[in-house]
Amino acid sequence: MSPYDPGEDVIAVQRAPTSGAVRGTYRAFGETLRGLKTTFARIVEGTTTIQYPEEKTPVYPRFRGRHKLHRFEDTGLEKCVGCSLCAAACPADCIRVVAAENTPEHRISAGERYAAVYEINLSRCIFCGYCEVACPFDAITMGHDYEMSDYSRSDLIFTKEMLLAEPIERTPLRNEGE
Amino acid sequence: MPRPEHHIIQFTIDGREVRAIEGSMLVDAAKHGDVEIPYFCYEPKLGNPVGACRMCLVEIEGIPKLQTSCSTPVKDGMVVNTQTERVRHAQNGVVEFLLVNHPLDCPVCDKGGECPLQDISFGWGLGRSRVIEPKRHFVKPLALSPLVAIDRERCILCYRCVRFSQEVSEDYQLVFADRGADTFVATHDGHPYVAPFSGNIVELCPVGALTSQPYRFRARPWEIEGAGSICTLCPSQCNVELTVRDEKVLRVLSREHDEVDDGWLCDKGRFAYQSIHADERVTAPLVREGGELREAGWERALEVAAGLAEHKGRAGALAGGQATNEEGFLLARLMREALACADIDSRAGGPMALGLTQALADPKLQAAVPDLEFAHTVLVLGCEPLDDAPILDLWIRKGVRRRGVKLAVATARPSALDASAKLVVRYPPGGEHAFLVALAAALAGDDQAAGDESNNGARALASLLTTGGEDVVIVWGERIGPAAAQMPAIAEHLRLAEREGAGLLEVPAGANGRGLREAGVLPGAGPGYAELGHDAPIGRDAAQIAAAAAAGELTALYLLETDPVRDRADRHLWNSALARASLVVAHASVLTDGIREHASVVFPAESYAEKEGTVVHPDGRVQRLRAAIGHPDQVRAGWSVLAELGRRAGHELEVPTSAAAFAQLVEAVPFYAGLTLDQLGGRGVRWPARELSSRSFPAPSATPAAEPGWVQAGAPRPEPSEAAGPKRPENGMLRLGTYRSIWAAPEVELSPALHFTIAHQQVELSPADARRLGIASGVAVEIAQNGRSLQGIAAIRTGVPDGTAFLAEGIAADSANVLTEQLVEVRKA
Ligand code: SF4
Ligand code: SF4
Ligand code: SF4
Ligand code: SF4
Ligand code: FES
Repeated sequence: MSPYDPGEDVIAVQRAPTSGAVRGTYRAFGETLRGLKTTFARIVEGTTTIQYPEEKTPVYPRFRGRHKLHRFEDTGLEKCVGCSLCAAACPADCIRVVAAENTPEHRISAGERYAAVYEINLSRCIFCGYCEVACPFDAITMGHDYEMSDYSRSDLIFTKEMLLAEPIERTPLRNEGE
Repeated sequence: MPRPEHHIIQFTIDGREVRAIEGSMLVDAAKHGDVEIPYFCYEPKLGNPVGACRMCLVEIEGIPKLQTSCSTPVKDGMVVNTQTERVRHAQNGVVEFLLVNHPLDCPVCDKGGECPLQDISFGWGLGRSRVIEPKRHFVKPLALSPLVAIDRERCILCYRCVRFSQEVSEDYQLVFADRGADTFVATHDGHPYVAPFSGNIVELCPVGALTSQPYRFRARPWEIEGAGSICTLCPSQCNVELTVRDEKVLRVLSREHDEVDDGWLCDKGRFAYQSIHADERVTAPLVREGGELREAGWERALEVAAGLAEHKGRAGALAGGQATNEEGFLLARLMREALACADIDSRAGGPMALGLTQALADPKLQAAVPDLEFAHTVLVLGCEPLDDAPILDLWIRKGVRRRGVKLAVATARPSALDASAKLVVRYPPGGEHAFLVALAAALAGDDQAAGDESNNGARALASLLTTGGEDVVIVWGERIGPAAAQMPAIAEHLRLAEREGAGLLEVPAGANGRGLREAGVLPGAGPGYAELGHDAPIGRDAAQIAAAAAAGELTALYLLETDPVRDRADRHLWNSALARASLVVAHASVLTDGIREHASVVFPAESYAEKEGTVVHPDGRVQRLRAAIGHPDQVRAGWSVLAELGRRAGHELEVPTSAAAFAQLVEAVPFYAGLTLDQLGGRGVRWPARELSSRSFPAPSATPAAEPGWVQAGAPRPEPSEAAGPKRPENGMLRLGTYRSIWAAPEVELSPALHFTIAHQQVELSPADARRLGIASGVAVEIAQNGRSLQGIAAIRTGVPDGTAFLAEGIAADSANVLTEQLVEVRKA
C-alpha cells in the first residue's frame, strides 16, 4: 500500500460527459429562446406597468391600511371612549391612549370617558387589524391608505386629530369582482 | 387574648386529600389543594364572613344543599366537591343574577382589566343572560366624597365597603339604604363620606362601583407597572405598591403586610402621592443670592454648601422623619468625622439619657405590631394613634372588636379610641411626668405616692393593667418627652420583658424616628446606641441647638428634610436661630417658611417614590425603600449629596452607592449584623426578633436612667417643667395642649385631591369653657399669650377637660409652636 493511498475516504465526483458542439449551441440559444417565448407571447397583451405615484393600484375593500377614528354622524361626538382595549390587543404595542373624563360643559365622547391622547406609532404598526377587532365601539377601523412614508420617524406618530380627520382618499378601491 | 393554636386536619376536595388548618374557611382551605373557588364578599380582613354574594357555593357530602364555602369552616374528613354539575349550575345562576342590574359598561369603567366581576363572569358564568327586563338606573357617576366616586348601577351589594366602615374603621358612615331590589350604598343623609381611612373601600370593592377620584381614567392595568416600596409619611410605614405610568406615580395601593399594616392605608398615604408631581416641588438646587433663593446649578450649590468646612466645630444638624437610615447615618458621619461637630439630633421628645434610650430600645421590651391584636390589655399612653400612626388605630380597634382586648387610654387630649376603651384617664397637658410617677407608684403598690385617686386615675389604670392578664402592650408617644424616664420602671413592674406578646411600642414623631436613632443621629450616641468614645464630646439636642445658634455659638445649620420652624417647638427661637446662622444648608422638597426665609442652599430632596434605602418601623422592622420612578429634573439622591459634601470637606465617606451606605451602617450597628438588602427583601426583617441581634444589643450605659438629659459638660439646662407639674389655670386663662393632626404635612398641602383636608388652627375647647367664654363651635377665635396671638376656629369637644385648650401644631399658618408658655387666653375674634 502506497503511503499516499487515501483509502476508502475518496469521494469520486461523477461528471456528465462534456457536450459536443451541436449540443452546446443548442444550450446557448435554444433554451434561451424557449424562455423568451413566454416574453414574446405577453407582448401582445400590452403594458401592465403602473406608473406609481401618478397611478395607484386599487386595493381590496378588506385591505388594511392606515387607521381611521370615527365620530357619530348625528352628534359629532367621538366614538372612541378611551378604553385602551385596542392598546391591549396591539401586538406591536404601538397605540398609546390617555383617557380623561367628560364633563357636561366639555363633552368629547358619548360615555363618561374619552381619549385625551390617542396616538398610533405607524412606524411600528404591522397592520394586523387587531385594534379594529378589539374596539367595542367600532371607533377605530383600518382605512385603505398605504401611502405613509415620511422623512422622519416622529412624523409617523399619528395623533388623534390626524386619525379623526377625513383622510384624503388617495387609494382607489378595487371594484366588485375586479 | 393569646394567639389561637392551629390544628392541622385533612379533608378531601375534588378527590384530592388536602391538609389545612382546622376551622379555616373552606374557600381558603381549598387553596391548599390548588382549587380556586370564586368569591366576592369574603374578605377575612373585614371580620366574620357574611355570605352575601353566594358566589362561593360548593357541594359537601352529607349536606343536602349547596353551602357557601366562605362561611363553612373546614372539618376533619370533610368531602367537598366544586366541579359537579350542580355546583356549576349554581355558579352560572349566581353570575346571571349578579348581572341582572349590572350595566356591563366595562369599556368606560375604571375597574376594567382588574375587575373580579369581569374575571368571574368570564370564568364561571354562562356567557348569556335570560333577563330582558330593564335594568335599574341611578344617576352616575356621583361623588361619594371628594376622594371616592360611586356608581351605584355597578354595585353588586357585597357589603364589603359597609363592613369596612362599620367594623374596621368604625366611622359608621356607610350604610345600605332601602331594602330588597332597591338597596343601595349610601351615607346618612347623603353627607360626603369623609374619614381618615375612606380610600380603602376603593381597593375593597370587587367591582367598579367605588373608584378613586384622583386615579379616575388615568390608566389601564396593562399600561402601568407596580413598584413596591414603603410609605414614609408617618411611622406606620405601610407597605405600598406605587402604580407608575410614564414615570409618574398615579396611585398608591396597599402591598398587604400582615405584621405591619394589615392591608390598610390611610388617606394621607393613599392620596398624598400627588405631591411628588406637584409644580411647587423643589426640583433644582437653589442658592440664596441678594436675599432671594434662586435656581443655581449643582456645582454652585455644592460649592456654597462646602463652606461648611469653615464652620468646623460650630455646625449643628437636624434630620427629619422622612430621611432614610443611610441618609441619617451619612449625615452623622459628615458632622462627626468631617466637621468635628457633635450637635446632631433627630428626636422631637427632648433630651433623654443614653442609658434610658438604650433601656427603651431593648429588644426584649419591644412589642411587635400584631401583639396589639393578641394582647390581654393595651394601654395607649400620651399619643393619638389616629394622628400619629393611623394604622395602629385600626390594629387597636381590631384587637378590641375581634379578640376582646381590654383597652385603656391615658392621654391629655381626648382620643378617637376613647369610645372603645374600658378605661379612660385624662391628665392635664404637661402632666405626663406626674401621671407616670403616680402610675409607677400605683403599680408598685405604693398608694401614698400614687396620689389622690379621684384626681388622677392612676390606681384604676394600675389595677386594670395588673389584673387584666399578663400580655400588656403599651403604645406610647415620643411626645411625652422626659416623662419617658418612668417607662422602664413601669415595664419592670408589669414584667413586660419576660413575655413574648407583651412590650412597649413607641410611636416616634418622625416616620423613621427609630431608624435615625439607631443610625446614630443622636447628640449622645453613635450608631447602634453606642456610647461615644472618650474623646468624642456629647452634643447638643435640638432645643439646645436652637438656643446655641440664636446665641451665635453655632454658625452653620444642616437641615436634612426638616424645617424646624414648622416641625419643632418654639417657632420664634428657631426663626432667630436660622436668621443668625451664617450658613443654612437644607435638603427640602417644599419651601416651607423656615426654608424659604433662611436657607442659604436648598438641595432638592427625593420623594419616597424615588428613594433607595432603608427605614425602621417603630417595632424594629427594618424595611426597604425601592425607587419606583427616576429622579425628576435635577433631583439627586440624598446619600450622594452627603457623600459629595464629605469629599469637599476633605473627608471621603466612601459611599459609591446607596447599598454601600447600607453596608457601612450594618457594620456600624452591632444588632444589624449580618443583615443584607436581599434579606430585607419586600417584607423587611424585625431585628428585635433575631436571636443574633438581641445578643449584640449594647449593655445599658453607665449613665443613670433617671438622668434628665444627655450628660453634657458646662451647659446649664432648664429643669423640665413637667417635674414641677403643670400650672393650674388662673384668671380665665386656659392650659395649653397641642396636637399634630394627621393632615398636618406639607405633602397634603401639595396634593390637590387632599385640599379639602388641609389642617387649619382648630382650637379644641370643653363645652363648659366655651359656654363661659361665649364661644360657639365653628366661630373664629383669637388665642393670645405674652403679646403673641394666633387666629383659629373653635371646636367644642366633649372629653376635653375643663380649663384646657388644645391647639394644632405642624400646620402652615397659625401653628401653636409660636406659643411657649403653659397658659393661653382664648377669646372671640
Ligand atoms: S393594526 Fe395591529 S399593529 Fe397596528 S395598531 Fe392595530 S393592533 Fe397595533
Ligand atoms: S379606539 Fe376603541 S378600543 Fe381603542 S380606546 Fe377607543 S374605544 Fe377603546
Ligand atoms: S359598592 Fe362595591 S364594595 Fe360596596 S357593596 Fe357595592 S360592590 Fe360591594
Ligand atoms: S398610615 Fe402612614 S404609613 Fe400608612 S399609609 Fe398612612 S401615611 Fe402612609
Ligand atoms: S363569598 Fe361566600 S357568599 Fe360571598
